[in-house]
Amino acid sequence: MLFAASAVVIVAMVAIVGYLAVEGTRLFFADHVSPFTFLFSTDFSPDLRRPGAAVFIVGSLAITLFAVGIGGPFGVAVGVFLSQLAPKRLAEVMRPAIEILVGIPSVVYGWLGLTLLVPFVRTHLGSLTGFGLLTAGVVLAVMILPTVISLSEDALRSVPVAMREGSLALGATRWQTIYRVILPSARSGITVAIILGIARAIGETLAVQMVIGNAAILPKGLASPTASLTTEIITDMASAPTGSVLYHSLFAMAFLLLLVAMGLILAVRVAVRRPA
Amino acid sequence: MLLWTAAIGVLVLLAFFIGYIVYLGAGAISWHFLTAPPNEAKAGGGIGPEIYNSFYILILTLVFTTPIALAGGIFLQEYARPGPFTTAVQFCAESLSTIPSIVLGLFGMILFVNVLGWKFTALGGALTLTILNLPALMRMTQEALTVVPESYREASMALGATKWQTIRRVVLPSAIASLTTGIVLISGRILGETAALIFTAGTSVSVGRSAYDLSPFHTAETLSVHLWYTHSESLIPDAAKVGNGSALVLLAMVLIFNLSARFIGRALSKRFTAA
Repeated sequence: MLFAASAVVIVAMVAIVGYLAVEGTRLFFADHVSPFTFLFSTDFSPDLRRPGAAVFIVGSLAITLFAVGIGGPFGVAVGVFLSQLAPKRLAEVMRPAIEILVGIPSVVYGWLGLTLLVPFVRTHLGSLTGFGLLTAGVVLAVMILPTVISLSEDALRSVPVAMREGSLALGATRWQTIYRVILPSARSGITVAIILGIARAIGETLAVQMVIGNAAILPKGLASPTASLTTEIITDMASAPTGSVLYHSLFAMAFLLLLVAMGLILAVRVAVRRPA
Repeated sequence: MLLWTAAIGVLVLLAFFIGYIVYLGAGAISWHFLTAPPNEAKAGGGIGPEIYNSFYILILTLVFTTPIALAGGIFLQEYARPGPFTTAVQFCAESLSTIPSIVLGLFGMILFVNVLGWKFTALGGALTLTILNLPALMRMTQEALTVVPESYREASMALGATKWQTIRRVVLPSAIASLTTGIVLISGRILGETAALIFTAGTSVSVGRSAYDLSPFHTAETLSVHLWYTHSESLIPDAAKVGNGSALVLLAMVLIFNLSARFIGRALSKRFTAA
């Protein structure tokens, strides 16, 4: 019975991959759309059998890069601080604070972005609407921050104290020790932290959907409305008739996201296995 | 120093977020808002049924998730030997927890809404959330069991207890604090989940019957879904106010769960380790 309980995970995973693989490839097998059109065309007109998803792929990649570009270094920096420098008192306040940041629902982040960031970008950065890559990227950067912080802190903390002491004993300053000894030896753990940050960013849906503007066009700048894979699914799924080309292309996007998620998990496995 | 600023920045950010949500939402909260049904067309709707649905789905999800996750975690930690099976479980659990929740939502939609033909139901939503949260709770169970010292198990076995007796009477009681903390933390996550529910539990409250329908087959828009829906799809004139109020109530519910996880964990571990 206990065995069966743990096997549930496998059954669920196989079912998910199976169902999505079937529904996600109908676009290519039943509707005879070329995968190249789907991946590289920016013309998203499913009604005319031209479901090019390149806009959404570019959108997803852009906001993810943006989020990891800001949230990654910032998160690792806070991880270094918490594991190496922070006074015990401050660390005791910060850890629960970070857990609460993880716990804030993504719709609430979206609502914050919508009521705070969108008007700010509109009035101060001369954007017409305030919706776009910039807003979505900043919201995502904040959202992946706690993931990156706590994972990189764990990685840095597991560096043996002896290595740190050895470096300090050789006359290295604290900064030199952090840069030359501690960060390199925690490299694989920090890589995992960044990869999981990417996974969270690329899969995030509602917070992004509320601030990205949801227009199926390539962004003309950082502050013009566009869309991503996840936001496109949520925007159009309710109005997609079952079995239509639109329906099938949304499922193809979901299948693509599933493949990306599994690719990232494989990347984590590789990063963990490679000796530091 | 630079790192100090970054770290303090995180604290300031959190305080600012909470403060801002309270500032926005405080004006919208009233007894009427908390208990009245939502209004589809006019101003003055409330979020009563949404709060009910949030907790309905939470409880239903826990009823499915907890036993499976506990049993699975116990099996992996106490019985299973490392081999292809445990590797497969581990890999699937990791992959499951990385899949975007919207993708799981679409899976739930195919399976529960279309294939089984349930339409949008609380049950379908809860089962989707079970898949979403199972890996995390299973992992927390495993971690909670790892911390129990091996000497406890050996002592119990040496006294003639069977393996199952050891697990039930010795291992589980010493892990109860971290298990409870895990369940409460997961509850906070379930309350806040949205993307997986939109296409499984639906974006409206029970139609035709009472908004506080007890059947698991009722359409069940939760508070988090309502917050999203109000902003992006609905036509009511006081959408901003309803959104502000919903955001505050949602944040408060999640914070209460987070803080009580901490509190309960501490209290239980005191009680069970002092004995």
